[in-house]
Amino acid sequence: MKYITSINGREYRIEIVDEHHILIDGRTQHVDFVSISGQPIYSLILDGRSYESFVYETEEGWQVLMRGRQYVMTVEDEREKRLRMAGGRGAAESNEFHLKAPMPGLVVSVPVQEGQAVTKGQVLVILESMKMQNELKSPRAGTVVRVRVKPGDTVEQRQTLLSVQ
Amino acid sequence: MVTKVLIANRGEIAIRIIRACRELGIETVAVYSEVDRQALHVRYADKAYFLGPAPSRDSYLRIDKLIDIARKSGADAIHPGYGFLAEREEFAQACADAGITFIGPKPSAIAAMGDKAVARATVSKAGVPVVPGTEDVGNLSDNELLAIAPKIGFPLLIKATAGGGGKGMREVRSLEEMPTLLAAARREAEAAFGDGNVYLEKLVEGARHIEFQILADAYGNVIHLGERDCSLQRRHQKLVEETPSPIMDEDLRQRMGAVAVKAAQAVEYLNAGTIEFLVDKDKNFYFLEMNTRLQVEHPITEMVTGIDIVKEQIRIARGRPLSYRQEDIKLTGASIECRINAEDPYNGFLPSTGRITQMIIPTGPGVRVDTGVFAGSEITPYYDPLIAKLIVWGETRAQAILRMRRALEEYRIVGVRTNIPFHQSLMDSTRFLAGQYDTRFVEERFAMTDPEEDKEYLPEIAAIIGTLVAHQQTQRSAQIVRRGARDTSNWKWLGRWERLQR
Repeated sequence: MKYITSINGREYRIEIVDEHHILIDGRTQHVDFVSISGQPIYSLILDGRSYESFVYETEEGWQVLMRGRQYVMTVEDEREKRLRMAGGRGAAESNEFHLKAPMPGLVVSVPVQEGQAVTKGQVLVILESMKMQNELKSPRAGTVVRVRVKPGDTVEQRQTLLSVQ
Repeated sequence: MVTKVLIANRGEIAIRIIRACRELGIETVAVYSEVDRQALHVRYADKAYFLGPAPSRDSYLRIDKLIDIARKSGADAIHPGYGFLAEREEFAQACADAGITFIGPKPSAIAAMGDKAVARATVSKAGVPVVPGTEDVGNLSDNELLAIAPKIGFPLLIKATAGGGGKGMREVRSLEEMPTLLAAARREAEAAFGDGNVYLEKLVEGARHIEFQILADAYGNVIHLGERDCSLQRRHQKLVEETPSPIMDEDLRQRMGAVAVKAAQAVEYLNAGTIEFLVDKDKNFYFLEMNTRLQVEHPITEMVTGIDIVKEQIRIARGRPLSYRQEDIKLTGASIECRINAEDPYNGFLPSTGRITQMIIPTGPGVRVDTGVFAGSEITPYYDPLIAKLIVWGETRAQAILRMRRALEEYRIVGVRTNIPFHQSLMDSTRFLAGQYDTRFVEERFAMTDPEEDKEYLPEIAAIIGTLVAHQQTQRSAQIVRRGARDTSNWKWLGRWERLQR
């Protein structure tokens, strides 16, 4: 299977040849890749060099945390990439963003209203958890739609609080 | 006579206290809330009693229940740890009324230092310099504060009278923004302490937060154990502490130490306490506040002095004289503490909750970890996000930093996000290495290491790892999609699938 993986605009062409070999940008390398006890910690021995990292899947792509650095990347196989290029996309931007509670907590305030235009980084909800007031900010500009909570509400982790269109 | 100690706390500090008691041959009594039944402090203590539901006001803040449990369990002393009831005068008083030794200062000293206005007035009477502000004036209305603010000058800070830990604190740059910030500070103070009173204080710019550990016995002996530089903070929460402070010299240490001792004597202080100072660029120092309890960051002082502060607290509570005189205190080497919080540094330091599924703690020479969690622990939203303190010692500051980097890299915590990558970035930052930082550094000038700028930048390796994980996931989901087509039972299919994977 061939993949195109991009980090910060740089593309890496990686082909998984078999369980122990990959081709990266045309070079063959020997890999020994295991997850440690089924956890999101992965150990890679690449041509004799040992690496370990945490890997998380997020909305923005894969996060690889290694030696104190975080790498965010998208991984696509060739077919996905062709489809995306053909579709022209741009759809991602117009999708709704659903603000979800990152942890259980108490809604302290909702400083925005439905229909209000917000800028990137604007505070949408103040959530109290672990005795701290946490400001949840908009990851992009847009319009607030469907506010689902009010001050005083107790919310569960991953509960949708409001959406930005 | 302190033979059985009830620990009115949880988490790493409860364990720290149990350890001291164990070594002294003192029995320990743990208390726990509903969500802490499996916590380590409950498992380590000799006795354990249920307190109540998870929220701290129903459990760890219940003075009545704690006193009751002390009586039931036969505890003759209570150690409050830090946070919760540690600096509540009425708790120390309730212990005294029940004939139980409170391992800490007298209620009067807690009261004097707990109300910051009284604290400032008391120490400034003793000749200790304080930061200009309105604390000493008592509780003022919004209108009064707005009128006084220009006289103190901007920028200034709004602080909660009953406060601590940065709650109810706001920075004001101009008179225009002050009413909104006042309201927010009062609201937060009310929620955190049940007291919405606030005061103003001049903001010392380029300030370092340096505190002195002091010990005082019942015979009037007061000594200090040197300083801790706690300038690395975020939203007034300390993140990293080190001793000695990079800006300290022997002359300044002696002068500040003497003032710290004087401040403690001003309230007839007893037991362990900490005098916090702000130090400006020209090394002028101002009294900030006194913490009348054991500090989170006490271990770095233990590392460079060799003194077990908790044991010394118990010794003092038993009415014995201090084991050390000022001239016995020698500071050897350097120590750093990183507070490991369940917070995601890549996502605005948002708290992270969940179950810790795997954990490997760094060990080896010069490394100490104080923690209350283990693989299987649940990080709940009820208590603060501190899950461990990673402390190192080195012969020099440089060696301590290298050791801290090594230890941070060894640490593995799976299941919740932690701020370990933040500490790793900080330990690499040139400003930290040079010791050039102030209390605003983390918030205003620090950025997580841009991976492209450093030698450890390994995007190709990261790409390979990410791709392999994505590939594994694709393979798995392909199996799930085909599930319907299977003609055999799932168990049989699973067996086959597992054989295929070998």
